[in-house]
Amino acid sequence: MAARIELNSLTLRYAMASTPAVSGLSCTIPQGSCVGVVGPTGAGKTTLLHSLAGILGKHHPELMVSGNVSIGDESFGGISREILFPRVGLVLQDPSVQISGVRDTVFEEVLFTLENVGAVGDDSDSRIQLILRQLGIEHLAHRKPTSLSGGETQRVALATILVARPEVLLLDEPISALDATAQARLRSILLHLRGTTTVLVTDTQIDFPLSVCDRILALDHGRAVVFAEPQQLLSNDQSLPMIGGWQRWRDIARELEGRSDSSHRDTTRILKAIHLA
Amino acid sequence: MTPRIDISVKLAVVLLLWVCAFAFSWMYQALLCLVVIAVRFTIPAFRPQSQRSARAFSRFLLYSAAVAFLVLLLNSLLIRGGTSYGTILGFALYEEGLLFGLRTASRLLLLTYAVLLFFISSPLKDLIRFLQTRGLSPSFTLILLLTLHFLDHLPARIHQIFLAQQARGAPVDAGVLARSRALLSLLSPLVLSSIVESIDRGTALELRGFLNRRTNCEASIPSGEGWNFLTILILILSMVILILTIFRWLPG
Repeated sequence: MAARIELNSLTLRYAMASTPAVSGLSCTIPQGSCVGVVGPTGAGKTTLLHSLAGILGKHHPELMVSGNVSIGDESFGGISREILFPRVGLVLQDPSVQISGVRDTVFEEVLFTLENVGAVGDDSDSRIQLILRQLGIEHLAHRKPTSLSGGETQRVALATILVARPEVLLLDEPISALDATAQARLRSILLHLRGTTTVLVTDTQIDFPLSVCDRILALDHGRAVVFAEPQQLLSNDQSLPMIGGWQRWRDIARELEGRSDSSHRDTTRILKAIHLA
Repeated sequence: MTPRIDISVKLAVVLLLWVCAFAFSWMYQALLCLVVIAVRFTIPAFRPQSQRSARAFSRFLLYSAAVAFLVLLLNSLLIRGGTSYGTILGFALYEEGLLFGLRTASRLLLLTYAVLLFFISSPLKDLIRFLQTRGLSPSFTLILLLTLHFLDHLPARIHQIFLAQQARGAPVDAGVLARSRALLSLLSPLVLSSIVESIDRGTALELRGFLNRRTNCEASIPSGEGWNFLTILILILSMVILILTIFRWLPG
C-alpha cells in the first residue's frame, strides 16, 4: 500500500554548516505517484531522501530541523529519528554496498531482508520468486550476489528492498552507473510500481525522471525551484538552467508545440514516446 | 562438495589450540603447528574454500614463520644467561635467550595457524549466522561483518590504488626510498576509501533492518540450536588443560 508524503516548510541544517542543506521545502506527494527530484550536485537531493528514510535523523542527532514531514498518517514533528524500513525503502547511489556479502546466492540475499524484518513465512519463497521475476532477474537466483554486473547488482539491490513491500521507495541517482539497456529496464520497473508504491527518484539530469515520473521537484541550494508535472515544467517560462538537460527538452517541446498537429496537452506524451523509443 | 562440520566445532578447536599455546612447552607447540598444517591438507572440512584462501594460507604460513624466526634470533641474541652456543656477527647466542625465543616463536606460530585454519575453511556467512543464533548483538555483528569485509577486499583495493597512483606518476615501483615516500600516497586513499565504504555498507545494512534483527528474527532463525557433542567435548578438554596448567600439573 502506497503512502502520501507531505513536507511542510522543511529546513535541515547540519551543525557546522553556514547554509541549510534543505530550506523551507513544502510539497505534497500523492500516494502511488512517482516524483523525480532533480538538481545539481549539492542541491540537497540525497539529504532529502536520507531524511525521509530516517537515516539522517538517526545518524545526525545534532541536525537542526524545522518544519515537518508526514508519511501516510504518521507525522514526525520534524523528521524521523529512526530508520523507517520496511515502510520506507532506500536504494543507495552505489547499490553494491547494499549487498550484505553474507549470503551465497541472490535468492538468499533477498531472503536476508525478510529475516531482518521478521517476515519469513511459508510464502517467503514465492514472494522472493515473484520479486525476482518482476525485476527480470529470476535467472540470477542462484548466482553469487557479488559476481554480478552493475545493472544486475542494481536490480538485486532493488529486490532486497522491494521484497519487504515498502510503502515508499527512494532511489538515489539510480542510473548514474547504468547503460541504456539497464536504464530502460529500470524505467519499466518503475512504471510497473506506479499506483502501488510511492517512488522518489533523484538525478542530476532531467532525462530519466521526465520519462518515468508524474511530477518533477527541482532543487537548487536546498530550495525547491519548481514542483510541477513534466508538461508544466517544459512549458514554464521560468529559466531552469540548474537542471541538466532541461533546455534541450524545452526546445524540443517548443518545436512540437509549434506544429499544427500537436496540442500542448500531448507534448509530454510525445516527449516520453521519443524518449522511450 | 566440501564436507562441513559445525562452525562451533571449528571455534572450539581454535580455543583448544590457543589453550595449548599457553599450556605446553615449545616442543609440543611446534608439534601442534605441524599437526595444524597436516589437518589443512588432510581433513576435508578444514581445507581452504577457494584457491585464494589456499594462497593466503601458504603466504601467511611463510610470513609468520619468518616473523617467528626473527623473534627467535632476537631473543637468543639479546637475552643473556646459561651456556653460550657460539656467535653470530660478533654477538653471542645464549641458552636462556634461545629457549625463551623458542617458546615465544612457537606460541606465536600456533596462535596464528589456529586462527588461519579457521578463517580459510569457514565461510563468513556461517560464522555470522552462528554468532547471531548464539545471541550476539546485531551492532557487534555489523562491526565484525564490516571488518571481515574490509580485510577480504584489502588486497584488491591496494592493487587498485597502486595502479591509480602509478597512472598519475607516483614512484610506487622505483627504489626503496622513493617507494617509502610513495607509501603515504597509497595509505591515505586506502584508509579514506575504506572508512567511506564501511560507513556506506553499514548504512545500507541498517537500511535493510539489520539492527532490528534480534527482535525481528526470533521467529525466522532457529536460535539456540543444540550444542554439538564434539564441541562440548573439545571445550571440556580445553578447560581440563587450562585447570591443569593453572595448578602447574603440566610440564610448562
